[in-house]
Amino acid sequence: MMDVDDVAVAPLSGSLLLRMLSYTKPHVKTLTFAFFVLVLATGSNVLGPILIKIFIDHYLVVHNFPIWPLVLLATTYLSLQLMAAFFNFTQLLIFQKVALFIIQQLRVDVFGKVQMLGLSFFDRTPSGLLVSRITNDTESIKDMYVSVLSTFVQNIVLLLGIYVSMFILDVRLALFCLALAPIIVAIMAVYRHFSSRIFHLARHRLSLLNAKLSESLQGMYIVQAMRQEHRLRAEFARINYAYRSARLRNIKFNSLLLRPLIDGLYLCTLILVLGFFGLQSMVERIDLGVLYAFVSYLEQFFEPVNQMMLRLNSFQQAMVSSHRVFHLLDEDDLAPRQAGEGDPQITRGEVRFEDVSFSYDGKTDVLKNISFVAKPGQTVALVGHTGSGKSSIANLLLRFYSVERGRITIDGIDLRTFANAHLRKKVGLVLQDAFIFVGDIRSNIRLGTEKITDQEVVAAAQFVQADAFIQKLAHGYSEPLGERGATLSAGQRQLLAFARTMAHNPQILVLDEATASVDTETEEAIQETLMRMRQGRTTIAIAHRLSTIQDADLILVLHHGEVIERGTHQELLAKEGLYHKMFLLQQGGRVVLKDCLEA
Amino acid sequence: MRIFLDLLWYFKRKKWRYLTAVLTLITVALLNLIPPRMVGLVIDALQHRELTDGNLRMWLGWILFVALLTYFLRYVWRWLLFGAAIELSTTLREQLFDHFTRMSPQFYQTKRVGDLMAHATNDIQAVEQTAMEGILTLVDSLVTGTVVMITMVSVISLKLTLVALLPLPILAYATSRYGKILHRRFDKAQAAFSDLNDRVQENISGMRVVKAFGQEQVEIANFTTLSNDVVAKNFAVAQIDALFDPTIQLIVGISYFLSLVVGGYDVAHGRLSIGSLTTFTMYLGQLIWPMLAFGWLFNIVERGHASYERIQTLLAMKEDVADRRGALAVELTGDLVVGISQFTYPQASTPSLQGVFFELQRGSTLGVVGKTGSGKTTLLRLFMREFDVVHGDISMGGYSIYAVQKVSLRKAIAYVPQDHFLFSATIAENIAFAKPQATQAEISEAARIAAIHDDIMRFPDGYNTMVGERGVTLSGGQKQRLSIARALLLDAEVLILDDSLSAVDARTEAHILTELKQKRQGRTTIISAHRLSAVEHADLIIVLEEGRVVGVGNHEQLMQQGGFYASMYRSQQLEEYVEQGGIRA
Repeated sequence: MMDVDDVAVAPLSGSLLLRMLSYTKPHVKTLTFAFFVLVLATGSNVLGPILIKIFIDHYLVVHNFPIWPLVLLATTYLSLQLMAAFFNFTQLLIFQKVALFIIQQLRVDVFGKVQMLGLSFFDRTPSGLLVSRITNDTESIKDMYVSVLSTFVQNIVLLLGIYVSMFILDVRLALFCLALAPIIVAIMAVYRHFSSRIFHLARHRLSLLNAKLSESLQGMYIVQAMRQEHRLRAEFARINYAYRSARLRNIKFNSLLLRPLIDGLYLCTLILVLGFFGLQSMVERIDLGVLYAFVSYLEQFFEPVNQMMLRLNSFQQAMVSSHRVFHLLDEDDLAPRQAGEGDPQITRGEVRFEDVSFSYDGKTDVLKNISFVAKPGQTVALVGHTGSGKSSIANLLLRFYSVERGRITIDGIDLRTFANAHLRKKVGLVLQDAFIFVGDIRSNIRLGTEKITDQEVVAAAQFVQADAFIQKLAHGYSEPLGERGATLSAGQRQLLAFARTMAHNPQILVLDEATASVDTETEEAIQETLMRMRQGRTTIAIAHRLSTIQDADLILVLHHGEVIERGTHQELLAKEGLYHKMFLLQQGGRVVLKDCLEA
Repeated sequence: MRIFLDLLWYFKRKKWRYLTAVLTLITVALLNLIPPRMVGLVIDALQHRELTDGNLRMWLGWILFVALLTYFLRYVWRWLLFGAAIELSTTLREQLFDHFTRMSPQFYQTKRVGDLMAHATNDIQAVEQTAMEGILTLVDSLVTGTVVMITMVSVISLKLTLVALLPLPILAYATSRYGKILHRRFDKAQAAFSDLNDRVQENISGMRVVKAFGQEQVEIANFTTLSNDVVAKNFAVAQIDALFDPTIQLIVGISYFLSLVVGGYDVAHGRLSIGSLTTFTMYLGQLIWPMLAFGWLFNIVERGHASYERIQTLLAMKEDVADRRGALAVELTGDLVVGISQFTYPQASTPSLQGVFFELQRGSTLGVVGKTGSGKTTLLRLFMREFDVVHGDISMGGYSIYAVQKVSLRKAIAYVPQDHFLFSATIAENIAFAKPQATQAEISEAARIAAIHDDIMRFPDGYNTMVGERGVTLSGGQKQRLSIARALLLDAEVLILDDSLSAVDARTEAHILTELKQKRQGRTTIISAHRLSAVEHADLIIVLEEGRVVGVGNHEQLMQQGGFYASMYRSQQLEEYVEQGGIRA
């Protein structure tokens, strides 16, 4: 919706069009067939006036009415009409079907591509934009295939058919009418040139309008609480009027160059044709039927032109969209994948960071020379303020980003060499915000891993003490969950996320502790569950509350990406350093707090 | 057709514009009668070999005249009619937006933003279409249809006209019928598309989970299934869509055929000239569009009417919380007196607050604690008059908050809501949201108190950094602190923090509380929180449980009273004790 930056871009490169058309390759046979049917339909269609011409010239003018030839003529005419209708229906349907299949392919391609991209890509791309690439942009390319391309093909074929018939009837006059082609093309070019700008201006302003509206509605309570309704109304009015003026310009421009002009052009051509016949008649006898046929061809001639011009804007939009979609398809910021051959296995679960430094943007390092070892079954806790680098360590271990400086190994094997599936199976993540998918409880625990049986789902839920609350739900494990699991409490969502991780039974756990406040009872359940989950698993825990990680085998205190203290809870307290200070602060006592602020 | 009555107020307002447009349309319809007639004249003259240079020039001159004049007139009516429709949608949109700004949180609680958006976009668009295409088709089909038909009957032949028009009602019926089916199927296709959209949205938001569990292939498979459904639904649309053109062609073809057969018979018997027959078929061509349009018209107005009703229903909703009669415009300061016997949310059956009575001296700090759902936020929202108390009263400096204007009340209160909302604007604009004329110094000062200044300076463009999709992504804690800075800039009599420190760490919380205590001397501050550390220093703390006050006093008093507060505090103490023991060991 907010694709403002791209508004000015209206690329019309041949390569773009070619690439878009390359999607038709698998359908060449069907398309050829559809084209053949189209030609048949058009043929049946343009033959009509020729039959009428025969009727006029051979029978009507000369007052000769033999029954059988006339019945034959009439039957042929009606059959042609029926055939044209049938063939047209068929070709329209086939063209549409192919277009829909093409878009389906393109959509799956884009979606599949996005799944393969690295998290660094998602960090810098707003999610709304990405969603719009996959859905709205492909949708406007669909319009391009469904209405633009097929309209152009059909109408151009019709125009050609009309020209062919005209040549059959009268070569000189047909040549005259051929002069129309460059005029029409010129009008189209002028229209396209200017309308793309005006059209996009209107579109752009509409997207601003919608963005403003949506934001205002969401933040209305703030607006009202801060008494800014007047300002907001004024701002909205400004955007509203800007949109109006863009649309008014669009209307004016369209009225100037679209239908009215084409209709005018039709009348001028009519003058030309009549004049030609009129002048001709003064030197030789002319066939009235030919004149009639020309007049009825002219009536048919200009509607396709109107249709094509109307579609030019969608064409423009589709080009912009396809530019964006292909840009996304060409994105090379892929998720790190297995490097090298072989299938190394994680067996014991020893995690080792060796002198790892990392930067998201290539400018500022968020991790500086991090080294530590988590022996199998041990818990390593990461503490530090927001932005100290805790989450980055977890991100690297999960191979969301690739390590370029330093090395991470599991069981002594470089992290980069593991197969993706194996790594995902063995390293489990429990996220800060438990993400719930639309579906039911069972599908949220199992996700797409079909191997996990219903029993295992229940066992996992029991293990994390989620079974109790799930049983209480009206439909138990089949309880439908809406968007983001809104029907569950924060604590329940967390337990559900735990169950999800446990069902997948990883060897190594990455815990990102929740900061959200949950009631004491749930909190206790969560802490107890975490304790049990960690048993027998190597755990890297990001802790916000120090009370939850006191039994960790190793605590790393991070500050601006560096480990500034390390040791067990006791050792660190004894040091009376940053950890000690953080610990005291979390007790919340006023006296202690004052001391710390002074320190 | 009721929609045209519904919109009568607008047509009346723009009556000259509409009148001119209709007259222009009629003129165009009349002018359009000329070229076919000229064609007929030329043909007849050709047949009888009577065509002269002068005649030809005159007849072609007429066509040229029509071409030029109709080009101009067609431009004019489009501009008048379509322009008016755009003006209408602009007006409606503005009305709706104004209305939205007046509706209370209660309204927003019952409506979804997505639905409101749909009203403001799709429904308005449908009404605009009615005012645009609807009026055009109505006038055009009536005017052109009548004019052409009268001419056909009077100038050519009644019999021929009747015969030629025979198949056309079928056309109107068929297109109207197709239109209905098409619309239904189109809705289904749209719904499938929006499912697809939701799915993608979810996938992108949950990308970390998808990746962490290696679910990429499953996601692709699911997406493919949904996407196939979209294809199927769209193909159902295409099936109807593909019927339109062939049906029109066929029926029109039959109509031409009939007129040629009957007309030919008349020509053979000398009752009709070939030229007139040609003129007639050209008129017939002009009738097709009005006939088609007539079928369409019903669909357009039906949709327009439904949309207009929805918009009107929205606009008819009254402000839930309005100024009472004789409300005063005063500057509210002074002691707060809260006496709420009972408060129940509209549409709720059980009261959310019961028996909440306390007084708060000007300049002191009130802490409100309790579990989730205990009524903390409800109490704070009542101060803001987001909802009105029926049983009881809240007063400030002797004025009941219901006796003063809402504006006065809101001027006195700066509010930091629980769910922090920021606008897509720069950080400075967000902080200065309630005070757009604030200087940079004021803005920085507020940011400093809210402990967000240093964070801001680390952003690429400092205070000019954009917030939201096109700018930096802020953490929950940063958003909370920006919301606090925004409220602080108001320097209001009462500052309300609704659990606004939940996502900031202990150290930052301490900093903010200390700063607040200092900067807000002499003015009232209300803080609700889960964490007791946020309210420990308050002059008065009230403890809520299931909407009732279960403890009032300062920290020491509450500790002595025992009860919920003390037990909550003790559980923290216990934790602390265990951990302190760790040090001693």
